[in-house]
Amino acid sequence: MSDEATPEHCACDTLVLGCGNELFGDDGFGPAVARRLREMPDPPRGLCALDVGTAVRQVLFDVLLGPRRPRRVVVVDAVDLNREPGDVWATEPAELPVVKLDDFSMHQMPTSNLLSELARLAGVEVTCVVGQVSSFPREVQPGLSAPMRAAVERAAEIVVGMCLRPSGAQLTPGRPAQTGPAGGQGEPTNG
Amino acid sequence: MGKTITIAPVTRIEGHAKVTIHLDDAGNVADTQVNVVELRGFEKFCIGRPVEEMPRIVTSICGVCPWSHHLASAKANDAVFGVTPPGAGRKLRELCNAIAYTEEHILHFFFLAGADFVMGPDADYAVRNVLGIAQANPEIAKKVIRNRHMGARMLSIVSGKSIHPVTAVPGGFSKPLTEQERERLLPMADEVLEFAKFAIGFAKQSIFPKYLDAIKTLGVTKTGFLGTVTDDGALNLYDGKLRLMKPDGSYTDFAYDRYAEHLGEKVLAWSYLKFPYAKAWGEGFDMNLDAPKGIYRTNTLARINVCDRVATPLAQAEFEEFRAKFGRPAQHTLLYHYARLIELLYNAELVVQLLNEPDITSTETRVPVKPRAGRGVGCVEAPRGTLIHDYQTDDEGMVTDVNLIVGTTHNNAPINMSVKQAATSLIKNGQYDQGVLNKVEMAIRAYDPCLSCATHALDGTLPVKVEIFDHTGQLLDTFVNC
Repeated sequence: MSDEATPEHCACDTLVLGCGNELFGDDGFGPAVARRLREMPDPPRGLCALDVGTAVRQVLFDVLLGPRRPRRVVVVDAVDLNREPGDVWATEPAELPVVKLDDFSMHQMPTSNLLSELARLAGVEVTCVVGQVSSFPREVQPGLSAPMRAAVERAAEIVVGMCLRPSGAQLTPGRPAQTGPAGGQGEPTNG
Repeated sequence: MGKTITIAPVTRIEGHAKVTIHLDDAGNVADTQVNVVELRGFEKFCIGRPVEEMPRIVTSICGVCPWSHHLASAKANDAVFGVTPPGAGRKLRELCNAIAYTEEHILHFFFLAGADFVMGPDADYAVRNVLGIAQANPEIAKKVIRNRHMGARMLSIVSGKSIHPVTAVPGGFSKPLTEQERERLLPMADEVLEFAKFAIGFAKQSIFPKYLDAIKTLGVTKTGFLGTVTDDGALNLYDGKLRLMKPDGSYTDFAYDRYAEHLGEKVLAWSYLKFPYAKAWGEGFDMNLDAPKGIYRTNTLARINVCDRVATPLAQAEFEEFRAKFGRPAQHTLLYHYARLIELLYNAELVVQLLNEPDITSTETRVPVKPRAGRGVGCVEAPRGTLIHDYQTDDEGMVTDVNLIVGTTHNNAPINMSVKQAATSLIKNGQYDQGVLNKVEMAIRAYDPCLSCATHALDGTLPVKVEIFDHTGQLLDTFVNC
């Protein structure tokens, strides 16, 4: 029975969680990156990429409190932090603005403090790879903007680079993983 | 000048809400409002799409109860196409629904609402969460994680994936269950059943007795109830007829495709979310605590109140004990948690029962469908309440109209009433502290609401609108962050 009770995603080396709602434009960035990683013909060994959509909490509970844990968790998500649309950078949970201390709702996002606890209590290396959105639509409107479509590949490259990096190597927030947008800001597109 | 207390966001519920409490000149509660931001534009987005795509699309509405949306949509498709799934197809759908329930109810009781009980509502805010539970009760936390994951694993075995399901299709279920899969699932189902028995025993012995006073006083409102029952009145979460019960316990049964004849939707200027009410009672809509009109509740307590019996033996025994202790209909809001554990036990038993059905491994799991113009209503009991999908299509099977009523929406009015009742009883002369405010939140969390927001960002940005009123009702200020 023990095999059935241990999630596969807890037994991998690097777990990538693509977060976001694909119904809301650039909010679908995380799932798009997870898909790109899964489609790679020759992905790094030990990489497990999940499109967790808006259901990230279950997976994080498993990782935080379960019997086995990956060595590293990479959360991929969209942010709006007044950078150039399509900017992609790696950062640590502590570098993100703390809006909701002590909140474990996690309906749609892994709160920064939970990610910190994941690192502190569970000894898991936690990194966020985030992309600057062009905008978030007010109503349902699937499809990434042009800058974020271009950013998907760059984010995937950052994640692959992390998999090749030895455990414990420190990130300098925003560098060297940061990459600029490949193109100008485009109109949100469907599809 | 009156004072306004704002608690935003309410933590540990699905999505986000903002509670505004208006105090009068004496520092007592004059009014409260629970504001939410809902998913907007979804119905419009669906227009013009092939209706058979809907079961797959709707799972993106919410990552918390995707199975409920998936199954309600599949049932609406069945009705649009005028087909009835074969026995195995129906049983596999019901099996997935029951497994998803076990996963959801375990998570909610122990990790989302449980923190208030296990750690105590007055515990330090920083430890009143899932990690606090894990550190205070590591063995229970391990069991919770193990059994919650067992549910996810079972869903993956039955349907290929648990988060964004695709296997319920118009006319049935796309993937038969093999004998090998059944053999693999049975011991897992037995283990979850053992945990469900432990959970309700643990709660009755170690949790509920400590909070009897809170159960009797916190967020208590007198309302009607809505839930699904079989033709002979048994609790059913996948299919049946709707039963709308008045506060006095009398009730009316009706087919769920006639919901619009019995339920209306009220729009209030200060809320993004509509307020469904019992139109058929003919008394209108009023959230006055002393004389509510048209107000009903859904979710666990409602389902346990409206049913005459539970179809599995262990849950039936718990149901009888509950009813003997609290009557019918039980009105205490915190009893939602107790009712949730009865449902957990029922679903765990049901999973074992369905897996032992000889024909559940039949390869006849679906019937073919042909596009046609029509209207189809699908209804299931989602963990958070009655979920209704209503579609209309043209001759080519393209969607021309969509209406969704989700579980939390049914409870919008009672949530607001429970918050007002809780705030009124707990805040006197302007005196309050963190524990008091959390009890207001507890009144909300009892409903296990799922308040999907329109978008999200890792930094927590949310489209929030704050309005501040004085005691005369004059708008003093408006803040919008989007």
